[in-house]
Amino acid sequence: MEREPKSAMFEISRRRMLGETAAMVALAGAGPFKAFAATAPGASSLPDTEWRHYAADQASTRYSPLDQINADNFSDLEIAWSFKTDALGARKEYQFEATPLLVKGRLYLAAGSRRDCIALDAASGELLWMHRLDEGQRALNSPRQLSGHGVSYWTDGTKERILYVTTGYRLVSLDAATGIPDPDFGTNGIVDLKLDFDQQLDPDTADVGLHATPLIARDTVVVGAAHAAGDVPAVRRNVKGYVRGFDVRTGKRKWIFHTIPRKGEFGYDSWLNGDADEAGNGGVWAEMSADEELGLVYVPVELPTGDEMGMFRRGNALFGETLVALDIETGKRRWHYQLVHHGLWDRDIPCAPILCDIPVDGKLVKALAQPTKQAFLYVLNRETGKPIWPIVERKVEAGDVPGEWYAPTQPFPTKPPAYDVQGVTIDDLIDFTPALRAKAVELVKNYKIGPLYTPPVVSKPGRWGTIISPGIQGGTNWPGGCYDPETHTVFVYSKNQPGVIGIIPNTNMTVSQFPQVHGISGEEPRPQVAMGSETNGAPPPRRPAPAPAAAAGPPPGFLAVDGLPLLKPPYGRITAIDLTKGDLKWQIAHGETPDNVRNHPALKGLKIPRTGRPGNLGPLVTKTLVICGEAGFYTNEYGVRGAMLRAYDKATGEEKGAVYMPAPQSGSPMTYRLRGKQYIVVAIGGGNYSAELVAFRLPGAA
Amino acid sequence: MTFSKPQRPTFILAAAAVILGGSVVARAQSPGSTVWSGVYTDEQADRGKAAYAANCASCHGDTLAGIDVAPPLTGAGFLNNWNGTSAGDLFNRIKTTMPLNAPATLSGRTVADIEAFIFKANGFPAGQVALPPAPPMMANMKIVSQKPAN
Repeated sequence: MEREPKSAMFEISRRRMLGETAAMVALAGAGPFKAFAATAPGASSLPDTEWRHYAADQASTRYSPLDQINADNFSDLEIAWSFKTDALGARKEYQFEATPLLVKGRLYLAAGSRRDCIALDAASGELLWMHRLDEGQRALNSPRQLSGHGVSYWTDGTKERILYVTTGYRLVSLDAATGIPDPDFGTNGIVDLKLDFDQQLDPDTADVGLHATPLIARDTVVVGAAHAAGDVPAVRRNVKGYVRGFDVRTGKRKWIFHTIPRKGEFGYDSWLNGDADEAGNGGVWAEMSADEELGLVYVPVELPTGDEMGMFRRGNALFGETLVALDIETGKRRWHYQLVHHGLWDRDIPCAPILCDIPVDGKLVKALAQPTKQAFLYVLNRETGKPIWPIVERKVEAGDVPGEWYAPTQPFPTKPPAYDVQGVTIDDLIDFTPALRAKAVELVKNYKIGPLYTPPVVSKPGRWGTIISPGIQGGTNWPGGCYDPETHTVFVYSKNQPGVIGIIPNTNMTVSQFPQVHGISGEEPRPQVAMGSETNGAPPPRRPAPAPAAAAGPPPGFLAVDGLPLLKPPYGRITAIDLTKGDLKWQIAHGETPDNVRNHPALKGLKIPRTGRPGNLGPLVTKTLVICGEAGFYTNEYGVRGAMLRAYDKATGEEKGAVYMPAPQSGSPMTYRLRGKQYIVVAIGGGNYSAELVAFRLPGAA
Repeated sequence: MTFSKPQRPTFILAAAAVILGGSVVARAQSPGSTVWSGVYTDEQADRGKAAYAANCASCHGDTLAGIDVAPPLTGAGFLNNWNGTSAGDLFNRIKTTMPLNAPATLSGRTVADIEAFIFKANGFPAGQVALPPAPPMMANMKIVSQKPAN
């Protein structure tokens, strides 16, 4: 940890940036530079802007009214500075998901393989301070490794704090000026989140962590919970992913909300046979939103234990895959809306709902819009939880898994329409050539296909499982969407990458306490301890994975036709959804066509429109543009690997410019104006390119 | 690690043979070779299969298809992300960051075996020479998603 050196220039510009706040006085002390502040060279009349929350604001709009970077000049963008995170943590990171905050000329984020909290100079990218906790084995056991989504900021006008959750699930509060832990918060600035959790946990090994940022509203810090993936759950009675509110000044717990209700609590009766008593998970691993005026925090809940198996969570099982509005002060439930009943498709609500005031029948309504893995945008009144447009219950099919319980109906929004492919029909299959279509038709004969909410089935040769689309990762995942308050439009990226859910029996209780688990017939169920934790004792003996047949086509469970994706493109798209009407406004393939499609021998001579690329991306919306980097690498016309940061006219979706990045977007972009210059900052990395934060601005004097 | 007799020796890479502990002269990869020219052995990929099951499959899956937090190691997603890099780049990524709960604990030999298994799963052909256990020796082995025309 270090205090930043202070050059005269730096102080002059800081002084101008910060204005006469008490925080500034405390930071700079009685510096000699105050007299020069008014005559700082290069001073611009345009005020600096900030980005105080992960997605710009508590409403999670990821919107900025800035327009210096626009359609005319986007392609002129240059790298202002870049910051490699290699030196943070004991090794490099390649999965850098942060969106930094911008407060008073400084960027704050979590970075590196150890998830250090850092402050950077927003004009130069210079490291100002760093806070790290070496949590040893506790961190290595965490189900959420690496740097996560970022940090949170709080101020009461005097004190300024940066809060983040460590890999080992501790909540840390730091002085924003210095990075020094706040001695008034928790114990020496730290609250151990594995304690005071209404359950007994082993602090070193318990399956709980978090990638999301803590959400701060009305002086309360709200913290969720994430667990190992539940395709092959090791135990039935896993950690329960309760959500808690803490006093931002002291770290004292103010409330806890039982996402898996206890006997006597609301929602308990939605579980059959008291299954809620034993079920675990049900965490809130997504980002959250808050409306301070209404005093509500909006909490997207995941499934209880078993991502595709619900035999130990029979019934609709609240609050699984449910959006819950909680009172910020008390944690009491105000309303809830279950998006999927008794989910069997791992449709955890992955991102924050976007809070938006939209005109309905000539009246402005306080609403929210929830993007999802299933590619529905659920639009609800955020005061009451009532749908803005009818959401109807429709009958869905039951599967054949022994002991499973099936919800007879699922909720289907009538508006807006789905923004990506849902379910699989023959018409959705690859059709670049008749031969490829024919092969795809043959391939899907070995699977069950059908509409959205076609159930997972027992895997057996010749019917290896159910192909679901969107796949388990969505649709839309953790980055969520953005929202333009000027035109009441939501922009959301989604991918079209189907997956297979087969269910196989399991008798080895050291692998899983579930009698049925996610897998493909012929496989031995194997323990799922991702991403970190060790199994207890020696791993059970098992035979190796079945050898993928290299020449004889893809192995069971792998969806490809001659190496090409099973479904028609686009593989990744951005959709604009007009919330004044509940209609799709435009939709475009996002991302240059991947190498293996462009270079595929079977497609030689064919003109294939841009297909987009699949990944997890969050867009940014400004005065005129929707800005989003590409997912995954491609090789450009100069033979150089990389990805583009692209800009689209937000009114039409027409591409207005693009700028090269050496690696794909891995964290959602943000923007700010500092000393008259607009910056766009984005986290990139993946493949053989380690994590880097890149800042773009227009050419000209720094 | 053993080396079978070279079929068409182009030149001798003595250093590699010494480092690998082998005494048999091996056919070296010519500069600019690709993963389509047979850069691992079947025997190595078999060892890699077992090592993959023990160290990688719990996140990346038996079919190497990946999950939310672990990228696919086969198919379009993998090939596009690594197209144009070298076998050494992939080796380094695995060696230094994997497995996530115990990074840098796998020996170079095991990493090379796992990489051979991944190559096999992606349809790259086996050859006579094993993938070496250190990345400097793989710098010229390019990963290219499509088989070169010749």
